[in-house]
Order: sequence, then structure tokens, then C-alpha cells
Amino acid sequence: MIKLHNVSVTYRLKSESVEALRSANLDLAEGSFVAIMGPSGSGKTTLIQVIAGLLTPTAGDVIVNGQNLRQLDDRAISEFRNRTIGFVFQFFNLPSYYTALDNVALPLVFAGVSETERRDRARALLDEFGLGDRAIHKPEQLSGGEAQRVAIARALVNSPKIILADEPTGNLDRDTGARLMELLQKINRERGVTILLVTHDEKAAAFAQQTLRIEKGAFV
Amino acid sequence: MIRRRDQIRLSLQKIGLRKKRAVFSIISVALGIIVVVTVNSLMRGVRDLVIRTGYTEEIDQDLIRVSADQRYDDSPSRKRKQFLTDELLAKFREWKEIEAVAPNISVHPLNVDALAESPRASSGGYVTGAPEALIRRYADAKQLAASGNAVPLVIGERFVKLRYNEKTKKFDLEDPARVQAWIGREVTLRVGDPMAQLERFHYDYEKKQWLRLSEEETAQRRKSIESYESNEFDKLIHARTLTLKARVVGLCPGRRLLIPEEPARLCAKWLKQRDALARLRPVEPEADYGQYGRRAPREGEYAMAVVLLKSGTNPEPVVKRLRDMGFEATTRQNAFESFLKEVDAAMKIVKRIAYAFGGVLLLLACGLLWSTTSRIVSDSRADIGLFRALGATKSDVRRLFLSETVLLGELGTLTGILLGWTAAYWISQLVIHLASGDISDPEEMLMVPRTIFAVDWLSCAMLLFGAAGVSLLAGLWPANRAANVDPVKALKRE
Repeated sequence: MIKLHNVSVTYRLKSESVEALRSANLDLAEGSFVAIMGPSGSGKTTLIQVIAGLLTPTAGDVIVNGQNLRQLDDRAISEFRNRTIGFVFQFFNLPSYYTALDNVALPLVFAGVSETERRDRARALLDEFGLGDRAIHKPEQLSGGEAQRVAIARALVNSPKIILADEPTGNLDRDTGARLMELLQKINRERGVTILLVTHDEKAAAFAQQTLRIEKGAFV
Repeated sequence: MIRRRDQIRLSLQKIGLRKKRAVFSIISVALGIIVVVTVNSLMRGVRDLVIRTGYTEEIDQDLIRVSADQRYDDSPSRKRKQFLTDELLAKFREWKEIEAVAPNISVHPLNVDALAESPRASSGGYVTGAPEALIRRYADAKQLAASGNAVPLVIGERFVKLRYNEKTKKFDLEDPARVQAWIGREVTLRVGDPMAQLERFHYDYEKKQWLRLSEEETAQRRKSIESYESNEFDKLIHARTLTLKARVVGLCPGRRLLIPEEPARLCAKWLKQRDALARLRPVEPEADYGQYGRRAPREGEYAMAVVLLKSGTNPEPVVKRLRDMGFEATTRQNAFESFLKEVDAAMKIVKRIAYAFGGVLLLLACGLLWSTTSRIVSDSRADIGLFRALGATKSDVRRLFLSETVLLGELGTLTGILLGWTAAYWISQLVIHLASGDISDPEEMLMVPRTIFAVDWLSCAMLLFGAAGVSLLAGLWPANRAANVDPVKALKRE
């Protein structure tokens, strides 16, 4: 499902070059739930950005769902992100001017789905996650746990094959974080969605089937 | 790819988030548009008014006015080129395009008793001899046939369209049925009656009212007219009038009294002889070139004539032929068109000034739109990053911001158009109010329009298209900047 061959990402920071990823190799099967752990600045988030096609590696190939991302143009890679990837961010990234329902439906806007269908699909997911009564609430009216569940619903609304979760529990208390991880585990089990979790929280990583460690841009 | 409808909805939502800035942008665009639309609507209204009044109040269809060369001739040795003669008029009648020709015979003074209630106060003034074919065009066939010995008379509608209102002391528009009732009415024409200029009403400028003159005042005015004659003999001669029975057979536009050519010719002859008798001198000296080297037309010569074309005939070839013969020929069409050209030229200047002013304002608004969109892009980096992560293409992002700018521009234009129309309407009402307040001749009230405001749809459509184009230009650079925002950096900021 996700294959990385000798992927390197080098940033230029003033006159100095920084290697965020160094010849990283990865091969994740469909339906797996993998946690990537590592200290800050180890290249975890860069890895997610490369897999999502948001960042083009300096070297190496990234093959996701059979597609070599290097060969895709902007339109194709945007469509790939829209249909194959679901994002869950540490700070939820829910625009404050949209309701929970509109936030969940947002990826479908870029998929060109009709408004009625968008609303139906978003509402079904909110109901499934026990947020049916919060549909018309704005993000600031939601608790941290609720906001992150809305973010997960948004990640799932277009039925992606992969969810990339970047520190999803980083902004939640322990219990809420645990409940959220249970939800991700359930999604992985019941829907067969491949989940790549980036975290430095051992307890969160424990919910994954496999844990990989990354240090200074390379898997160890 | 984002749907157009969603694109507009998202843009509107984003505009709603920055209400103050949006309102400011809309107002700035609207200001320039208001100037352009106001001027355009008023100019269009004035032009429509000119066309409307020009066509309804001007001379008849298919009629050419022919006049002998009127060029200034300062030498007594140089004669006026030529007058129109009976022979020439007879020759014109043979042209296949021409239905009728008549010399322009004006019978003055003329008193029509029945017009005593005419708003101009004096009852008549002069009557013109017209080709019978022209009379037939305006006349009711039955009335014409029934006129018998009476002279068929066509009355200009402006004589009978107003009625004096005793209560308000103003002239009101006459009931159309009563206007039509004039057709078939028997009236008396008194040719040569100096009392034709006797006024029955007096306009009080302070009260802004028309007052009917009392009997004493009328008698005084009558006396004043009589005193124009220097001696008793002239007074006696001028007291003789030719009284004719006439029948109103039809109504025509304008303020004219038309009778057929033949009775007009007889009346004119009668008047000429009466006046000659009063002065006790020959009718006309044979060669009197006067101060400016001009002489009066002799028997069988005319300074002017009217040529009536067959319906639907193109007047231009006939006009050209007449001009080639050395006569001045004007049709309703070309006289009106040359006037309209002058109006258009004047309007062009006003419009250019307004467009230049509006253009400068729009240019400023364009700059403001550019800065607003740039600011929105800067404020929206996190959203742009998120949208790109969720599957928006660069093109989606560009279109989102462009549609935001275009929407602001179009909203400003629409606001400007609506406010411009409103301003033009109220200015038009104000102008009409001010202008009609100073009108002392009620007949002129007939010419006062209800409004001089007209919607120029074409220019409004062009403004909307233009605004879309200008907004696109203003938003292009910031929108491209938004499309090229690096989503990785944008998400990191968050």
C-alpha cells in the first residue's frame, strides 16, 4: 500500500543543508496500523508529508496505492490526496467559520460531490461518531475530543484507503486520547483503512499493530 | 475539482467573514459606477426625450420643406438666385415620388373663436395652406366629405390638449375623449382680425397661477391693440375681416392650423389687398432689393413650399435633386438627425468627462480590491494549506480567490448600478420640478416629460462585464500567490 525506496528529503536552511529524511525505506501492507515514533525533529512529520504528496522528496520514489507520486502532476496528486488520503492533525485544523457538518463535508467539496450527498455522508459519519447533535456547532463550541472526532470524520468522509494521523492525541488529555486511539483502532479493524500514526506518545503507539522508530531521518 | 456553485458559496462565506473590508471594497467600486451610471441614465433619458418629442411634435412624415436659396446677398446687383414659382411647383408634381406640392402660404392674423380657452390665451394666430393630400392624411374621411361649403380645418393637438381649471388656476391635460370631440365641430375663422392676438389669460409669476382676465382688463387690451393703428382710416380698414365658416376635420401633432391650399391662397390674397389699401400704396414694387439686396417674391413666386412624398418613399434622392437645383430642402428626418447629432456631440463630451472621472475612481477601487485580496490571501494561509491537504488543486485555490475578488467587484458594480439609477431618477425628478416651476406657458408643460431617466441596459451589461474583467486583473496576482502557497509551510504555521 505504501512503499518508500531510498527516500531522502533535504532542506536548505540559509547556507546549511538539513537532511529531514535519509534514504528511508518503508513497505506497509494494506490494512496495517503502524505507529512511527521518534523525538522531535526526527523526520516523522516530513515522512507523512512525503507520503501525502505534499512534499516532493529530493531523492527516491514514493509509491502509494500503486501510484508513483513523483510522476503525478498537481491535478492528479490533489485528486490522489482527496480520494486516497485522510488527514488527522494535532491541532484539528477545523476552520472556525464552518460548522462541524461543513467541516466534515469539506473534502467532498474538492471532490465535486453534490451538496445533498455531501450533507448526507457527513451527517452519517457524525451520527456514527456520536456527534449527531453537534452537527451545527462551530469548532470553538466543541471539546477537544469532539473536535478531534470531527477531524477523524472529515478524514474518513471520502472513504480513503489511508489515514495519516500526525500527533492526534498531542492536544488531548490522557483519557480522551485513549478513547480517540480506540476509535482509530476500530476504524482500522472494521473499515480496513491503513493507518500511519506519528506520535511520541508510547501509550498511543501501543494501539498500533506495529511500531517503527525514526531518528535523524532514518528508520532504526 | 470544485464545482462552480461551491466555489461561489465558499467565496461568499469568506467575504462574509471580513464584512467591513468587503463593504469598503464594494463601496469603493460602487462610487465610480454610480458616476458613470447616473450620467449614462440621464444622457440616455435626454436622448430618448429628444427622439420622442422630435418625432411626435415635429413636422409631418414624408414632408420635405423646400426654400429658395437664403444665402446672404450684400450686393443690390446680385439677385437672389431663384424663387420657387408655380411652374417649378407644377414640374415637381410630375416627379413620380411626389404626391403633392404646395407653396407655403401663411395667413396671418387669424382668429378662431372656438379656441378662446386655448392655453396660449390668444385664439389662433395664423393658418397654413397645406396640400390637400396632407389634409387627407390627418382628416377623418367622413368629416372631410361632410364639410360641404365650410373650410376643412386640421387643428394642432397642442391647441386642444389643455383645459383651464378654474379651481387650481392652472391648465390641466384635457380628457382624450373631449380632445377627439373637436373633430366635426363647426368653427368661425376671422381672417385679418388683429384681435387674434388678444390674450384671455395672464400668468401671475408670484402666485404661479394663470388668471383669467376680467372684462375690464380685456377691454383695455383690446383698446391697446386698436391703438397700434396710427390713423382712423387704417383703423377702419383693419377692422374689416374676412369671416369663414370652417369645420374641424382632424387633429395633427404640434401647434398648427392647416387648411387646404386654395382657400389659404384666397385668404392671403384678400389680406394683401386689404393691407395695401390701408397703406394706400401698390401691392409690391417690381424690383425692391432693400437693404440686403433681397426682393420680395412677386405674384406666382414663393420663398417656401412643402413637398409631400408618397407614403414609404425614401426622401433622400428627392432632397438631393432639389438641392442640386439650388434649393434648400429639409425633411423631418434629416432636420431631426442633424439636431440629434448636435445633441449626441454635446452628450459625448459630458459622458467623456464622467467616464474619465468614473475611470479614475474605478482604478482606485481596483487597487483597493487588489490590496483586499492580497490581505485575504495573507490571512488565509492556514486555510489554503488545509484545502490543499484535503485535495484542492492549485487551480481550485486560484479560482476561489479570483471568484472572491470578482464577486466583490460585481457586488460593487451592482450596488453602483442600483444607486446610480436611484440618483439619476431623483436628479431627473428634481430637474423636472425646478424646470416646470418656471414654466409660464402651459403649452410648454406638454413638453415636460415625466422623467428624463432611462435605463441603458447595454452599458450596464458592459459595466458588469468590465467590472468582472477589472476584478479578475486586480485579483490575478494575489490569487496566483494563494495558489502557490506551500501547503507544508502553511500547515506548519498553524
